[in-house]
Amino acid sequence: MLFPTPNRRALALLSILLPLVLAAVWLALTSGPLAPVPVTVAVVEERAIAPALFGIGTIEARYRYRIGPTVAGRVRRVEVQVGDRVHAGQLLGEMDPVDLDERVAAQDAALRRAEAGVAAARAQVTDARARLEFAGAQVRRYEQLLQARTASEDTVEARRQEAQVAEAGLATALANLESAEQDLLRVRAEREALARQRGNLRLLAPVDGLVVARDAEPGSTVVAGQAVVELVDPATLWIDARFDQLGSGGLRAGLEARIALRSRPSETLAGSVLRVEPQADAVTEELRAKIAFARLPEPLPRLGELAEVTLALASQPPAPALPNAALQWRDGQLGVWRLVDAGPRFAAIETGLRDLDGWVQIGAGLTGGDRVVLYSQAPLRPGRSVKIVEAIPGVLR
Amino acid sequence: MADVESTPGEGIHIEGLRKRYGRGETAVDALKGADIAVAAGEVVGLVGPSGSGKSTLLKCLGAVTEPSGGRMTLGGRVIYDEGWRIPDLRALRRDRIGFVFQAPHLIPFLNVTDNVALLPMLAGHANADARARARELLEALDVGHRAQAMPSQLSGGEQQRVAIARALVSRPPVILADEPTAPLDSERALGVIGILNRMAREYRTAVIVVTHDEKIIPTFERIYHIRDGRTHEELGEGRMST
Amino acid sequence: MISLAGRDILHGWGKYVFTGMGLGLLIGVTLSMAGIYRGMVDDAAVLLDNSGADLWVVQQDTLGPYAEPSSLYDDLYRGILTLPGVAQAANVTYLTMQVRPAGDAARERRAMVVGVVPGGFGEPGQPRFLVAGRRLTRGHYEAVADLSTGFRLGEQVRIRRHLYRVVGLTRRNVSSGGDPMVFIPLKDAQEAQFLKDNDAIIQQRHRTAVNPLFNRPGQPEVLEAVLAAQTQSTSVNAVLVRLDAGADPDRVAADIRRWKRLGVYTRAEMNEILQAKLIATSARQIFMFLVILSLVSAAIVAFIIYTLTLGKIREIAILKLIGTRNRTIAAMILQQAIGLGLIGFVVGKTAATFWAPVFPKYVLLLPSDAARGLLVVVLICALASLFAIRTALRVDPAEAIGG
Repeated sequence: MLFPTPNRRALALLSILLPLVLAAVWLALTSGPLAPVPVTVAVVEERAIAPALFGIGTIEARYRYRIGPTVAGRVRRVEVQVGDRVHAGQLLGEMDPVDLDERVAAQDAALRRAEAGVAAARAQVTDARARLEFAGAQVRRYEQLLQARTASEDTVEARRQEAQVAEAGLATALANLESAEQDLLRVRAEREALARQRGNLRLLAPVDGLVVARDAEPGSTVVAGQAVVELVDPATLWIDARFDQLGSGGLRAGLEARIALRSRPSETLAGSVLRVEPQADAVTEELRAKIAFARLPEPLPRLGELAEVTLALASQPPAPALPNAALQWRDGQLGVWRLVDAGPRFAAIETGLRDLDGWVQIGAGLTGGDRVVLYSQAPLRPGRSVKIVEAIPGVLR
Repeated sequence: MADVESTPGEGIHIEGLRKRYGRGETAVDALKGADIAVAAGEVVGLVGPSGSGKSTLLKCLGAVTEPSGGRMTLGGRVIYDEGWRIPDLRALRRDRIGFVFQAPHLIPFLNVTDNVALLPMLAGHANADARARARELLEALDVGHRAQAMPSQLSGGEQQRVAIARALVSRPPVILADEPTAPLDSERALGVIGILNRMAREYRTAVIVVTHDEKIIPTFERIYHIRDGRTHEELGEGRMST
Repeated sequence: MISLAGRDILHGWGKYVFTGMGLGLLIGVTLSMAGIYRGMVDDAAVLLDNSGADLWVVQQDTLGPYAEPSSLYDDLYRGILTLPGVAQAANVTYLTMQVRPAGDAARERRAMVVGVVPGGFGEPGQPRFLVAGRRLTRGHYEAVADLSTGFRLGEQVRIRRHLYRVVGLTRRNVSSGGDPMVFIPLKDAQEAQFLKDNDAIIQQRHRTAVNPLFNRPGQPEVLEAVLAAQTQSTSVNAVLVRLDAGADPDRVAADIRRWKRLGVYTRAEMNEILQAKLIATSARQIFMFLVILSLVSAAIVAFIIYTLTLGKIREIAILKLIGTRNRTIAAMILQQAIGLGLIGFVVGKTAATFWAPVFPKYVLLLPSDAARGLLVVVLICALASLFAIRTALRVDPAEAIGG
């Protein structure tokens, strides 16, 4: 017999038990603490890092026109609705003039009276001038008569006195005229002032713009300086953006910006940093900057809409760089796990610039071509055996 | 097993063997005085109806039940004389008594050779020696070709022959056979008895065959009848032609 | 000498092995239960490890941030940084909430949302290692999620009002309750938790400014006063502190406690809080289960061995009749019992290792537990075989002869 019976049985038993034991050993070696840790490898490469900043902001208008009366009053009418486009000089609304029109009429009457006074004064001057001429003529005639001794000295004296009286009368008339003219000027100026006030009750658009708010309705009373209608110039929309102070060193005016609006997240708009606010927010630990659109998107973004702003900082010269996932913290040092023949070894490094895609420039500690652990299935420690894989098991793609 | 070798030919002798079960009024005397003498190499029959004390006698002979009195001599050594004279009955059974049962009672998870070789192996003999002796016996019993088979693969007659080999392996002075032919037809039954006779002669062993098998009773030279716990010796009708 | 046990097993190996496998599955369940217990303890330990902190600064008289709510002003860390011995201090928020991928509510997961300062690699609170993607770089709307959330790289997940893009994946970053962590920028997390983020502040200012009640014409100082009153610091749950090498945690903790009037826990104390207070009841629950399972396993082993022995009672009687010693028979039963236990153990360990990753919560199978389990299994089998041995030894060899 080639296979004695008990041996065949033993073989059968072995064929069941051996795989079982092998499976147990295999599992112990591959899933226990003895098992090598699957890791993926990153190679340090020279890479030009384009660091970028990421900020959040809201759409704001650069200029906001708050149109309201200069004196307290009641709103008579508002001509425009929110969302209307208006052009410079367009009537937006009007305040209630109350008694202003009546006061203008009174001033008109006063004006006319003053004009009449001037005319009367002018007539008096003419009268006084006529009297003076006549009195002068009488004096000259009586002086000839005196020389001809046809009139007495007394008579001549009397004529001379009359002429002096007439002169004084003219002076008086002229003074009256001057007074009346001044009065007319005063009344006219007052009339003018009232007309101005009347005009001031009309709320006019200072620029071409968009009505964004209608703060008061006809009948409501507003005080001087309070807005009835708010206008913005849509051509001047910008983003009031905030950037975390951490790593915002390169933030400056003129940087290229990519803008994504919350309502249109997939659409990237171009823009640039207009200015960086000199004052940072101490509470939120953020810097603020104004981002201008290169070209205004259509339809116009809404005021106050959330926008994500990504700023590309100036690209730096190539330097050794690694994905930031490779960086780990160990014993108070930032470093990476270098793959050397004996297994992973922790190497402290210094980091330089970072970009938003997760690349970090390595300042010191590594050179191009060094192999380091990028991802690992478990925390590493020196000498732990590792197995290099394409992707960590279990990661869903 | 040194003493096994030294005592062939002595056979088994019992005198006045008694066995009482229970105590007091409910006591039953199963054996009232059995006297049997079987010489080495001799095969005798032990016949009796149910309840005659046949089984009790067998159990006492097999050293699994302690008699209540009497005397047993096995292979020239007194093993019982109003009390066991042997400290280790298990070793006695293992080394000096061979059992053949009605059913072969082979150990189902051992092959034929190991069934036979089991006793020497348990007694501490080298496996190879024990197996060699087993194979020798199996050859002698014409079942050498089934040495590697499992008991379940054997026919009834083959199983019984293996059982006889097992009983013989320690060269015991006596073999107790309890209805060894009951499940067999008459030809095979006679064959088994023939083998027992042959082996008894060859190995100088006393064989007691407990039976009520009509087919084989005529083959014994001597027959002990047991009735009411007492034995009566008769001469048998004939002797086997083998 | 011949191995009766081995030959018996070989003879009936199918029954034996399958019985062993059945027992093995039970042992596997028991080992898994131990693994669940270890996993709970490990969840707590890994939470502390991953935070990378030496000290936890929390609201006074709270057991925060994991065991109790704690709220601190988020500018307190600046003061803590100035203390001697403090190397790093980072704000952190923890909030357990539902997180779901955008547009796929079915994959909603309960997660612990952790707010960390983006870009601060290696600061306490940050994930220690990644398995894919990158760390947080942007100040808003990015997330690093634990693998067990089932989120994919590049996927958008919704936390409260905002959508976050998953940029990195990590592993074994879980809360003490086993919920996976999702790391998001601190300011977003503050908004999610306190609903008073920077946007809210700015909007509040704007609201105040346009309110004529506060912005009185001709009285600009009113607005300033109102804004100043509204400008209050936002909150975080804890400040994680990493100490200089060689600094004594207890001394620094005492300093912070005394001068900053804040609650401080060292690592040892935090471990005590998590182990003793947070997971103690669940752990005891599991432990009870483990004990009961062990008892059940023991009972079943005893029953199996007993049944196997009863099946061989006739053979045992013959063996005894033909002179087999008691210790040979006892050894046979004991060997079979232990063999059954060993098969069961191997099957159980293998099964437990196979199905452990499928459990929703972490199951940690420690080799030391396995060794202990092996010892217990062998011991239990040995004890369980005692019944069977006792029965076997009571078999009367006369039974083999029959009546």
